[in-house]
Amino acid sequence: MGFTFIPCMSVPNNTKNVFIIIPAFNENTVIKSVVEEISQFNYSIIVIDDGSEISLLPLLRNMPVDYIRHRINLGQGAAIQTGIEYALTKGAEYIVTFDADGQHDTIDIQKLLDPLQNNKADIVFGSRFIENSTQNMPKGRKFVLLLARLFNFFITGLFLSDAHNGLRAMNKKAASLIKIKENGMAHASEILVQVKNKKLRFVEVPVTIKYTTYSTKKGQTGWSSFRIFFDLLLNKLFK
Amino acid sequence: MNSIQILLIIGIIIIFLYYVLRFRNAFFDLLLLISFSLLGIYFILFPEKTNVIAHKLGVGRGADLLFYSCIIFFLFIIIKLFARLRRLEEKLTEMVRQQAKSDADLEIDAKGKNKV
Repeated sequence: MGFTFIPCMSVPNNTKNVFIIIPAFNENTVIKSVVEEISQFNYSIIVIDDGSEISLLPLLRNMPVDYIRHRINLGQGAAIQTGIEYALTKGAEYIVTFDADGQHDTIDIQKLLDPLQNNKADIVFGSRFIENSTQNMPKGRKFVLLLARLFNFFITGLFLSDAHNGLRAMNKKAASLIKIKENGMAHASEILVQVKNKKLRFVEVPVTIKYTTYSTKKGQTGWSSFRIFFDLLLNKLFK
Repeated sequence: MNSIQILLIIGIIIIFLYYVLRFRNAFFDLLLLISFSLLGIYFILFPEKTNVIAHKLGVGRGADLLFYSCIIFFLFIIIKLFARLRRLEEKLTEMVRQQAKSDADLEIDAKGKNKV
């Protein structure tokens, strides 16, 4: 008999129920440093390996992460949905999506969590345009994102300052209501549609995006926005 | 008989045989296929008969009527295929996802703790 101390439960501002989900596809060069950076904080981390050619598991040995692997590549939307479902079964209160290519700043995670923890919002989107918080954004990218914002506005009626930012946070309620069916990159717009339909409260928070050579190369080109457009259009028409 | 007619009829017969041999069919499918094939062969042999139908619908030539209806028909097929592909994709996603989640749980069981 004696004194039982359950750290997770007794500390009011505990962070283990904050789950960072990192969808990763062939990110073997950066995934380790990204996870290392996040693991300085006391969050739970889930890496979803979306069928990478070489398993990311060896890189993540002895690191405090849960590792889920899709046996085949499905797309980022599918990976995020898997991560959300898994995190919910592990008792997540808050879920943060974080890109594996190292373009987000870990400091921003708490900024995203604040509105959720103060019960001001159900879902928080990171935005690179609220303040001039973005480093080295290519000009072409800026224009494509403007078009994407307009497009999102047309299909959702929500005009956000940023359209496709991988950094977002949601509470348990939003996480269980949102069901991503767009396996590809169209999930970003799909989430907005569902936020609108499920009447979730949302806010935008300025975040920093680092446009490194790696993330620019790995990231989407203007061409992929056409694919997103057709994904959404076709699926809306032929559902 | 023109050579084009022979080619077309051979084409229809090949498609018919391929379909029957490849997919063992339900009786109704077979019936539908036979009637379409016979109809096709009939119109190939007597193309002027299509003109009669076309005139009734206000189209100049039978060949034009066929062209228009083909467009509609193939659009319909594309949509059906797209919807089916999409449903298939959803099923596949669900399968891979369930498997991934149970794999992850197995990993945890093997280690006896919640870490990789």
